[in-house]
Amino acid sequence: MTNPVLETIRTRRVARALTGEPIAREAFEEVLKAARWAPSAGNRRLHRFIAIQDPLTLRLLRMVTPGMFQRPAAIVVICIDRAKAASFGMRPNAKGLFVDVGTAAQTMLLAAHSLGLGSGVVTSFSQAAVSAVLNMPEGLSPEMFICLGHAAPTQPPGMPARGQVTWKTLTQWERFPKSSTG
Amino acid sequence: MAARMVLSEDEAVELVAFLVTAARTQVDEAAEYGSLRLLTAAGRLGELIAERVSPETRALLTGPLKQIPELAVRTADPAAYVAALDGLCGAVGQHLVTHFGLERKGP
Repeated sequence: MTNPVLETIRTRRVARALTGEPIAREAFEEVLKAARWAPSAGNRRLHRFIAIQDPLTLRLLRMVTPGMFQRPAAIVVICIDRAKAASFGMRPNAKGLFVDVGTAAQTMLLAAHSLGLGSGVVTSFSQAAVSAVLNMPEGLSPEMFICLGHAAPTQPPGMPARGQVTWKTLTQWERFPKSSTG
Repeated sequence: MAARMVLSEDEAVELVAFLVTAARTQVDEAAEYGSLRLLTAAGRLGELIAERVSPETRALLTGPLKQIPELAVRTADPAAYVAALDGLCGAVGQHLVTHFGLERKGP
C-alpha cells in the first residue's frame, strides 16, 4: 500500500551533508507552519520555535553543538516554555514536554522532506551556551535543533545499523506470552 | 614555521567552544560518544591546519585521520573499532618519531 504521505515517511533520511545553498524563506515558513499542526499534550502548546537563517548565528550555534556535523542553511530550535508548563502544574521532567518536542520535530522533518529540503535533528549541544548565543529569556529551554538545507548529492555513512530492524521486530502484537514475563 | 602554524583567533575559539561544550554534552550522552567527539575535534583541528603543515603531517591528517568514518562508534563492531583506533594511533606514533627526528637522535 502506498500514498504520498507514506511515501514521504518512507523516503525521508537524515541529511548530514548539505550544499550550503540557502533555503527559500517561503519553504522555511512552510516547515514552521507544519509544526503548528503537530500533536500537543492537552493542546497546551508549551513549545516555542526559534527560526534562524543568519549565517553568523548559525556558525556560532554550530560551535557549541558537538553533535552537529552538517552546516545547515537554517535551524529551528525547539524550546520548552518552562514557565508556561509550570503554570499548568507540570513537573520539569514531565514526559509530555519531551514527547511534544518529538512530535513537532517529526512533523517538521516530514514537511521539509515533502518540500525537497534535507533535514536532520541534533540534540548534542550545550543548553547554556545556546541560550547565551540566542539571548533566550529565562524560562525557555532549547531542547532540539532541526537542521535544514539542501542535501548534498553524496552523503557520509550514517550511524551503523545494530542488527536488522523491521516493523515486525519492533512490534509485539497483543499481550506478551506468559513465558516472556516469567 | 611556528608563526605560520598558529591558528587564527576565530579558529581557536571555535575549537575551544567545541571541546568545552562536548565536555558538557558528554555528561548526558552514551559513553561511546566520548571517543567520537574527540575524533571529531581532532578532525576539525586537522582541517584547520592542513594547508599550513608539512607534507608529511598533511599526509597524516588527510590519510589515517580520515579513515575512521565520522559517525563510527564502538558498539557497532567493538573489535573493528578498537583496531581502527589502534591503527590510527600507530600512524600518529610513527609520525611523531619522524616529525621530531627521534630516529636521527639514535637509540
